[in-house]
Amino acid sequence: MLKLDIGRIKRERIIIISGRRAVEISLLSIATSFVLFSLVLMYEGADPLVAYQNMFSFAFDPKLGLSLTIHRSVLILFTTLAFIIPLRAGLWNVGMEGQFYLGTIGAFFMAYTFASLPSEILIPLILLGAAAAGSLYGAIAGTLRGKFNVNEVVVTLMMNNIAFWLIYLLVVGGPWAGIAESSSRPLPKSAHAPYIFNTPFTSFLAIALAVVLFVFLTKTTTGFKIRVLGHSINTAKYVGIDEFKMSVLVMSLGGAIAGLAGYHMWAGDPAFLMIPRPEAYKAVGDLTYWGIILGLVTLLNPVPAIPASFFMGSIIVGATVLVRRLRLPFGFDFLFLGMISITFAAFQFFYNYRLKVMKK
Amino acid sequence: MFTRPDSESILEIRGLVKRFPNGVTALDHVDLVMKRGEIHAILGENGAGKTTLMNILFGILQPDEGEIYLNGEKVVFRSPLDAINKGIGMVHQHRRLIAAHTVLENIILGHPNTGKFIDKKKSRKEVEELCRRFGFKIDLDARVWQLSAGEKQLVEIVRALYRGAKILILDEPTSVLTPPEIDAFLDSIKAVSKEKVTLVPFVTHKLPEVFSISHRVTILRRGKVVKSLSIAEASIPKLAEYMVGRELSFELERVPTEPGAEILRVEKLSALNDKGLVAFKDVDFVLRQGEIFGVAGVTGNGQQELAETIMGLRKPVGGKIYFDGKDITKTSVLDRLKMGLAYIPPERIGVAAVGDLSLVDNVLLMYYFEKEMSRGGMINYKLAKQYTEKVISEFNVVAPGPTTKAAHLSGGNLQKLILGRVLLKTPKIIIANLPTQGLDIAAENYVRRKLLECKQKGISVVLISENLDEILQLSDRVAPIFEGRFVDILENINLRKEAIGAMIAGGFAERGVNRA
Amino acid sequence: MIEISPTLWPFTTRFLEVSTILVLAAVGELLTQRSGVINVGIEGLMLFGAATSFLTAQAFGPLWGFATGTLVGAFLGLFHAMLSVSLRVNQIISGMGVWLFATGFVTYWADRYTGPLKATIPRISGLTPAFFIALAVVIIIWFVLTRTHFGLKIRSVGENPAAAEVSGVNVTWTRYFCTTVGGALGGFSGAVLMLSYLGAWSHLPTKGLGWLAFGLVMFSLWRPGILLVGALAFGFVWQFAISPESIFPGFPAPLPVNRMLPFLLTIIILTIISTERFRRRWALMKPEALGQPYIKE
Repeated sequence: MLKLDIGRIKRERIIIISGRRAVEISLLSIATSFVLFSLVLMYEGADPLVAYQNMFSFAFDPKLGLSLTIHRSVLILFTTLAFIIPLRAGLWNVGMEGQFYLGTIGAFFMAYTFASLPSEILIPLILLGAAAAGSLYGAIAGTLRGKFNVNEVVVTLMMNNIAFWLIYLLVVGGPWAGIAESSSRPLPKSAHAPYIFNTPFTSFLAIALAVVLFVFLTKTTTGFKIRVLGHSINTAKYVGIDEFKMSVLVMSLGGAIAGLAGYHMWAGDPAFLMIPRPEAYKAVGDLTYWGIILGLVTLLNPVPAIPASFFMGSIIVGATVLVRRLRLPFGFDFLFLGMISITFAAFQFFYNYRLKVMKK
Repeated sequence: MFTRPDSESILEIRGLVKRFPNGVTALDHVDLVMKRGEIHAILGENGAGKTTLMNILFGILQPDEGEIYLNGEKVVFRSPLDAINKGIGMVHQHRRLIAAHTVLENIILGHPNTGKFIDKKKSRKEVEELCRRFGFKIDLDARVWQLSAGEKQLVEIVRALYRGAKILILDEPTSVLTPPEIDAFLDSIKAVSKEKVTLVPFVTHKLPEVFSISHRVTILRRGKVVKSLSIAEASIPKLAEYMVGRELSFELERVPTEPGAEILRVEKLSALNDKGLVAFKDVDFVLRQGEIFGVAGVTGNGQQELAETIMGLRKPVGGKIYFDGKDITKTSVLDRLKMGLAYIPPERIGVAAVGDLSLVDNVLLMYYFEKEMSRGGMINYKLAKQYTEKVISEFNVVAPGPTTKAAHLSGGNLQKLILGRVLLKTPKIIIANLPTQGLDIAAENYVRRKLLECKQKGISVVLISENLDEILQLSDRVAPIFEGRFVDILENINLRKEAIGAMIAGGFAERGVNRA
Repeated sequence: MIEISPTLWPFTTRFLEVSTILVLAAVGELLTQRSGVINVGIEGLMLFGAATSFLTAQAFGPLWGFATGTLVGAFLGLFHAMLSVSLRVNQIISGMGVWLFATGFVTYWADRYTGPLKATIPRISGLTPAFFIALAVVIIIWFVLTRTHFGLKIRSVGENPAAAEVSGVNVTWTRYFCTTVGGALGGFSGAVLMLSYLGAWSHLPTKGLGWLAFGLVMFSLWRPGILLVGALAFGFVWQFAISPESIFPGFPAPLPVNRMLPFLLTIIILTIISTERFRRRWALMKPEALGQPYIKE
């Protein structure tokens, strides 16, 4: 019988994990999910290297996929930020999808209502509408949590479904219905988002927001309060931090950012709204779930969320190539989302333990 | 007066060694022999290895070396279940009972011979029979959270006996009991030992009580057996000397102070606890400047809720609180902190400090709301770091540096930090709830000395403690609390510990102690 | 004038089917939570159960579909138990991981076969047989929890694992068992959804039902009886939202508004039971060690 001379592997408990180790674990989980992803690619009969080469060359090619990659990355960055802020205070915002839809509604409402205004006034108004609508929607969950301690995970998820049907109501056969099926009337020319260096201005907005939020979370008094609340509700109460106010604040902040994602996705660029039929592929809303996993992988830090979102955006766009060029089945980007979620969850093990090989 | 123990040994321990991964040798070749029906006390200070020995005997930990023989037969306990099946029972200091379940459910939980389905009638009959034999009185249908500390302990004893325990390990059995409860406990111990059950109390404090009923004592020090002797050969001072190994004396001088001006007035204050029951009712007292006001009582009599209500962490259902003549009953916690009230809660990690945050952030918890700490909403981390360094150096906190995470500090050092960050800004009132609980002797004395020093600075202290020595040592006035009421408020002049002890046990209250 | 429609019985069987799906998933979660483990990934369990049962049913017939759906659920439950009990991973993160994994993997795996089932399952006067299984499961779980020593052990582990341990209860094993059985029920519920209720695969077919079941467990105060009543009510609301005209012909409201109803109702109910009047009772009923890993000292 073959016997490996590796000795006994012992697990050793870690009380408090160091920042460096946490980063290593995140990187390790991304790497492992890539390995798993490659295995599936091989199972489907594709050479992983060829597949990756195809994916990334398409996603980063300025003539082909780059603009779409940027577009998707910005959406993911917004949703990641929308997830990070509440969880810093200990609240799980899984309602980015709902806040995203509400942001879209807010933006379109402004654009339709004030269609006659010039761009300089209209676009800020639309942005404001998107942020306000998303923010109010998030604040509902924050209020319920802060006031009555209602589980925010359930509430935000329920609100995702409500928001979906709400926007469906408006667009499919509703007051905003356009000529094409499941899409809205296009927005006026004045509402079209300006481009800076050939990229939508929302890209710069998102990056700036990430940096500002980083400073906000680490350097300001309010950020400190949020952090304390996230670590221990009892301590927060003990030092006079208003749990209710903070819950509402973080959820409305998260909602506002998710609302901006809604603006970016629809009002900013295509300038019309497209709603999938309820039984069909609901790709757009599902994209917001990337925010959850990216928020966790980046350890709730807004700055690494910038490159991480860009990277994930390229995978999402690259995966479409796999279908077209390599004739692989559809949904590989979703597979990657699943892989990274499960490996990240499993690798949480290393937060608690260190493996040690004992010499015999 | 004692039943003679049988001469045959029931449990023998030979050469027990336990080393922990952090390099500490908790037990170093421990030998012990216990006889049938014997009450064999094991004495030792915190850190002497008592807990480790107990955990090994009950199968929670496994020894690195050494053997355990039960009735002459070598045994290995891999889990508590092994130990229970071999006839070992344990009564825990921190009660291991399920609060939401009934007493009967707790007693029959995990019993092997009851079949698949719960037969309440049959088990009830068996338990009642057992109680009658030993002369215990318990309400089997009460929920455990409704019971007093003594009753809970009795439930643990009955549970062990119901499982057929021949050896009963008792962890600090008298530490949380009031004097009358202790008497009742000692009676039950005697009754149990008469039935040929060996009892092994592990004791740190309160030597005399256990001394009065033990047949034999073994003293542990730094993981070794120092001495094992029969009670006839022992005396309390000698035992204390064996335990400590050196003469320890920390003298604290309490300077009597002139009562200053009134700083806090509590009028007819009442509040509910988390279960929605009355925690304390119609509490009246006045706190003067520069005095230590001791609230003596067994934990769970409403002290914690009282402290929380004064701090604004809990809403009162009636009554008023005045600070410096101003009504602060409705003032927020934050405003009370700003006014100069400070609270030191018993839970160091989780309430007073956050383990995952650095010491700077933990010090900042008490300063983040101060004007000097924020410049346009940004935290002045430079100043915060200065404050932290000051706390560390002025209060002898042993820590690698201000960026260390609080979880890495020992209990004593963390408490010094918590106390230090409050004292650094000279508050008006400190409410200290069990400030020395779980600390080693040096840290305990340090904290007590600092509380006494507060008086010189004109800081008033509300000291909540269940340690009567501490209360009498530090307080200017003492308020014994029982079931949410101050039994009396007494000047601390020639107060007798026994008298206070009787008061906190309800000896002077209108209502009786026992619910059953 | 609103009149009762002749389609009342078909409607009833449909709504009982939704209730069956909800009750199976929720009672599994209830068992899991009673042992102190929280699994927020029910939606994921159901998705996996649905996808697996759909694919196996297409190849080998519906009976195999039910079997593999349940098995896959049990496996995911076991996985969650391994992470949260043995490895002490944050249970919310682990559950979210299972959910998102299911969302991603199932989309990749099953979406390419989107379409109706070849075979249908037999029905008892229009009712799905799973309805009776669900009833039996609720009764069994109720009986086990309240009347057996094993149930007492489960409840004890959920309330205070340290106390249970010193009474000789194997905390780890009990939690593994409950989480795995809970997972199996979640998977089975997904299989019922697919094979009995929907009969066709479409993108992410659970549509929030798993989260509804999760909310239901909170609302039930961890009692199987209340859970059953809640599931019946929610099944009715869900089905009513989809086809109100089958009870009240000519029901006026446009479709999307109805579809919001079950979700809105969940929020309202959860808020009501969290208000001052109910909160204390709720806190008393909640397993005290819920969501906390047990660390032996």
